[in-house]
Amino acid sequence: MQGFSYSEIDDKVLGTLAAPGKVYYVCLAFCFTGVLIGASCWGYQIATGLGAAGVMHPVNWGTYLVNFVFWVGIAHSGTLISAILYLFKAPWRTPLARSAEAMTVFAVSTAGLFPLIHLGRVWIVYWILPYPNQRNLWPNFQSPLVFDVIAISTYLIVSFLFWYTGLVPDLAIVRDRARGIRRRIYGWLSLGWTGSDRQWNHHGSAYLLFAALATPLVISVHSVVSWDFALGIAPGWHSTIFAPYFVAGAIHSGLAMVITLLIPLRRILGLEEILTMKIFDNVAKTIVFTGLIMGYSYLTEFFISWYSGNIAERAIFEWRATGHYALLFWMMVMCNSLAPLVFFLKWARTHIAPLLTISVLINLGMWYERYIIILSSPGHEFDPYSWGLFIGPTWVEYGIMLGSFSLFFFLFLLFAKFLPSVSMSELKEELPPPMRGQSV
Amino acid sequence: MKMKGLLGVFEYLDDLVKALEVMREKNYEIKAVYSPVRSRQIIQALGLKPSPVRYFTLIGAISGIALGFGLAVYTALQWKFIVSGKPPVPRVPYVIVAFEFCILFGVLWNLASLWLNSRLPKLRLPEHYDPRFSGNRFGVVVTCTPSAQEQVVAILNESGAEEVHEAGE
Repeated sequence: MQGFSYSEIDDKVLGTLAAPGKVYYVCLAFCFTGVLIGASCWGYQIATGLGAAGVMHPVNWGTYLVNFVFWVGIAHSGTLISAILYLFKAPWRTPLARSAEAMTVFAVSTAGLFPLIHLGRVWIVYWILPYPNQRNLWPNFQSPLVFDVIAISTYLIVSFLFWYTGLVPDLAIVRDRARGIRRRIYGWLSLGWTGSDRQWNHHGSAYLLFAALATPLVISVHSVVSWDFALGIAPGWHSTIFAPYFVAGAIHSGLAMVITLLIPLRRILGLEEILTMKIFDNVAKTIVFTGLIMGYSYLTEFFISWYSGNIAERAIFEWRATGHYALLFWMMVMCNSLAPLVFFLKWARTHIAPLLTISVLINLGMWYERYIIILSSPGHEFDPYSWGLFIGPTWVEYGIMLGSFSLFFFLFLLFAKFLPSVSMSELKEELPPPMRGQSV
Repeated sequence: MKMKGLLGVFEYLDDLVKALEVMREKNYEIKAVYSPVRSRQIIQALGLKPSPVRYFTLIGAISGIALGFGLAVYTALQWKFIVSGKPPVPRVPYVIVAFEFCILFGVLWNLASLWLNSRLPKLRLPEHYDPRFSGNRFGVVVTCTPSAQEQVVAILNESGAEEVHEAGE
């Protein structure tokens, strides 16, 4: 950030909030149409029943759970970048953090819809919440599904509040430059922030504590998601490696999504000087690390299934690699473990085309990974009599999946135009403060 | 005695810090210091104590643990189901519930104490607030008696203030 002044940072970032061009509206309309298609498919499913989705014995968790785990995973790197890198004082975090946090909030919101979509009777969703009722019926707090409700709700609330708390000083900057109704709206959103000594003092402590609390939370949330599977006794699921394996996978996919989103964003919003190639270089290096963990985890799963001597465990892993899902399995290995190795080359880490290609491949690979884990194990349990395949995805599932991706990008497009996508106050903090002693 | 408020606007941080040090030395009341960024130099010059937000957060986190465990144990005791001869209140799975509640309540108390201590939300900005304070200028509001006004203005100007205004009472 060296070479910028406070005013230049404000001008640069506030410039992104100017009236958008036609391309923006076309993208927005495209995404909104996708959201409507998804909502219509969900409406159809509610009207006709859960049979509209391809979930049937023995594979009762279809693409809704795949998408749920995928979006929770995407949500992870936002908090990783903003909280963990904040605690480690990594300087390349600052320009990325705001967009990554927004990505987290939108991805968790999208993920949170899938358990609702998967419910046959969504209007009684409140039954899974612990509320006092006549018959003293409570959710079972030993169930990983209830852990999930608590963990995901906590993650959504904490991610949103962390994002908003960081936004408040920037909203005050927008307010102070805005006129008319915009000034009033940003005035409300900024809560009357003035940047007084008292406010900065408390804000600094609170933000640090937010980061300190969000860091273990981010690890716990995907661990809890992994226990949805690992606490079941299905072969291929019942494994102690699942929590670290899922956390690493989540960070892997989240970092790839950060690159996928920010490369077009920096171009469209003209933020090339702030979101520099050096930052993408660092993200790509982290992806190499998480990619190696993924490769190691895949190998470990196979080794343990062989070494355990458990026939059912061996069978499921042999089936994954050679059976019905083999093509997707090898695509998964290629996209998640082999493709990121290209980032060992500095050229690949510092050029747009390989960065974007590999990050999209990783997103694809991570979706396949969840598909294979979730659909293969229940279809290939202990008794061959009960083996079966997933009969979907049906057109309803495809529609809802399109709707979820559209909703995510729709929210991100709105964010990029209405809120500062880079934290101005934190960027300024990284600059040497204006000193008369240093002025010419 | 009726007190007067004076606002000094600064371009440079070292000038502001110099003014703050002189004001504190001469026992003038510094009502507020505005800055576009969090600044360690300003906090040191004002001698601000560490924020009490951390104590609120600790209380929130501990109450979250108690609430998480409490809720899980209470609900289990409503029915006292014994499964496989195990006690009806299994402690290990409840650690997860308690952990999530610990984080949730820690964060909620953290935010509440931030708003409480920072006097947020505010419906109106102070009259003397200058929009440049969120951009690239620093500001200090000092209160003094009318007889000391000249001296305060002189200190602010000598420290390098770009502008000095009256800032209400």
